[in-house]
Amino acid sequence: MYEIVNDYTTMDKLRILADAAKYDVACTSSGVDRKGKEGFLGNSCAAGICHSFAADGRCISLLKILMSNHCIHDCKYCLNRRSNDVERATFLPDEICKLVIEFYKRNYIEGLFLSSGVLNSPEHTMELICRTLSMLRNKYRFNGYIHVKAIPGAPAELLAQAGLLADRISLNLELPNSESLKKLAPGKNFNNIVKPMASISSTIAAHRVAAGKTPYMERSKINNRLESNIFSKMRIEAAQNNSILVPERALDRDLSRPFAPAGMSTQMIIGATPDTDLELITVTEQLYKSMDLKRVFYSAYVPLNDDAALPAKGTAVPLLREHRLYQADWLLRYYGFAASELLSPERPNFNEVIDPKCDWAVRHLDVFPVEVNTAPADILIRVPGIGPKSLERIFRARRYGGLTFDALKKMGVVLKRAKYFITCGGKMMDRIPIEERFIVNRLTDVDRREVYSFTDRTTYRQMSLFDMGMKAVSG
Amino acid sequence: MTVFTCSDSLEAMLTCIYDAWYSRLGHDNVRLEIEPIEQLNMFDTYVHVEADERKAMAVADAVNMKISPAFYGEIVYCLGAYERDVLDTVYRVLVLGFKHGAGVLDAYGYEAVSRFKAIRIRYGREASSFLEFVRFNLVEGVYVAHFEPKSRVLLTVAEHFADRMPSEHWMIIDDIHREAAVHPCNEQYYIRKLSAEEYDRLKATEDYDDSFTELWKVYFKEIAIKERENYRCQLTHFSKWKRKHVTEFA
Repeated sequence: MYEIVNDYTTMDKLRILADAAKYDVACTSSGVDRKGKEGFLGNSCAAGICHSFAADGRCISLLKILMSNHCIHDCKYCLNRRSNDVERATFLPDEICKLVIEFYKRNYIEGLFLSSGVLNSPEHTMELICRTLSMLRNKYRFNGYIHVKAIPGAPAELLAQAGLLADRISLNLELPNSESLKKLAPGKNFNNIVKPMASISSTIAAHRVAAGKTPYMERSKINNRLESNIFSKMRIEAAQNNSILVPERALDRDLSRPFAPAGMSTQMIIGATPDTDLELITVTEQLYKSMDLKRVFYSAYVPLNDDAALPAKGTAVPLLREHRLYQADWLLRYYGFAASELLSPERPNFNEVIDPKCDWAVRHLDVFPVEVNTAPADILIRVPGIGPKSLERIFRARRYGGLTFDALKKMGVVLKRAKYFITCGGKMMDRIPIEERFIVNRLTDVDRREVYSFTDRTTYRQMSLFDMGMKAVSG
Repeated sequence: MTVFTCSDSLEAMLTCIYDAWYSRLGHDNVRLEIEPIEQLNMFDTYVHVEADERKAMAVADAVNMKISPAFYGEIVYCLGAYERDVLDTVYRVLVLGFKHGAGVLDAYGYEAVSRFKAIRIRYGREASSFLEFVRFNLVEGVYVAHFEPKSRVLLTVAEHFADRMPSEHWMIIDDIHREAAVHPCNEQYYIRKLSAEEYDRLKATEDYDDSFTELWKVYFKEIAIKERENYRCQLTHFSKWKRKHVTEFA
């Protein structure tokens, strides 16, 4: 086999491989608290730290790059597919380490996100990734955050090694079912993605138990207050049925590290296939429940390739749909909702004009209005305008006496949404008819600016000096 | 109304609380303000208070022992905020704290508590945003950062970096309050008030050309998806006043 050698500088490689990595969504540095050590560089903060915000408004927390954008696959949606004629480059492990260390010391980044196209074979690629991570941890003594992508088809020993070196490990599901995957990614196999996911999940659980923790990942504290939430009846089936990943050989100091302490995540593409929101959100719930995933990310499909099986180039990016799915994802993880409550086979997609929580509330007007001073957490958290933080404040403040609308406002309750669904001391805030059409109209009005900001970017609108000014400064 | 005024150091502020309390004028008849006073009121009496270590310690001990150490921590944290009414708010919260105990911070029904919480949350956000946006520049082996916070957040920021980079020489300079946190490699860091001369010398560190600056700018540009361009969203997350001294916007 021939290898084409380019004389790219680090700058060129960074340009090419950052550009190729940007469609991976995850850029979180959360989930693990780790103190710094003398002689080492870095620590980690469970809340995560963003370091900058790019021109698309997405946060930059990690140095998100590919090891290589050479790829043996020909996935139709991907920019780096084999049949595309793009600049190709591969980083040397040392180059990546130097970039990470120097960027980290200048506080540009919180750590490394390392993914890769499949160079030669999954084994070879994963081996390169592991070598880089090992060098970064042991030679450069880096103690910050590392997110690593597991390459589908890589051997179990290498996945085990990667998990021990990284904080979070992720495997992209890309599409919610095997038919769609077969259609768009002929080289990939659904089982090849789900199986390693299950083994990683059981390995994480095993390492957690060995460290004296519960086998399940930590979830938001608010879930302790809620009686019904998707995490309450969890069981890791994986631990019984799946093998636990063990590295072939590893240094002692690698073995003393916890296995992917920040858990596992995945990503799905939105809008490239006709899959419905119901399907996506059901799969999401399944992944949380059976694989104990920490996060599921959604990526609105940006048409990059001309292909009959895909939306044509220039098609609007489904940003609003992506936004609604993220809202629903939060409802699952922080608000005690189940996927089946949000959507049904008769209504398989989310409402465009109002958000999923408001949508649920107006369809269940029989339970509202609720009395803020006495209502239990399970129903109070379902009131639009009340979130986990304000719920916590309401519960603490209730011990000191009755609440008023004024106090609720100061606690951060969004009254323009909540006022249709709550009473304070038996009274509603205004004279409000409990009628679905009236409330929907009002809530649509509240949301209209948000909806507009997602939908109207492609159509004409009056240009303001403000917009122009922003571009001139940031561009 | 008697107004007790003091400078913006922690010691002076605690002393001011002590003096106002023991003036025995009644809590409703005193007000506390941080100097400089922008508008004098002809119906009020103004009393200037000088920092006094004994009095400041007395307040600290009383809060620590009679309310709780956590409560004291909250108050000290909050006193760093730039809001003009922070000292008076803290005084009102202390009155409530001594009466009802530490739990009073959850009682949003009190005007003083909700104001205190609002300041506390805003201050906390400002402090953590500078953990994100402070940028270092390599100058002759020392990583130097300048930033311009509204509140006194240098201590929080320095604490974070002391844990993060224990084995580097670094220095963070607060250009507004003219203070610097200096951290020698593998040693404790310290905070130092800067003289005008020192400040002028340190100002020049920003002109140093760092070889990684250009790489970072290239990365920053490449990582944005053109089809999703959204400057308004970027602005909400990264406001303009925080962009001073930030490499990618320089």
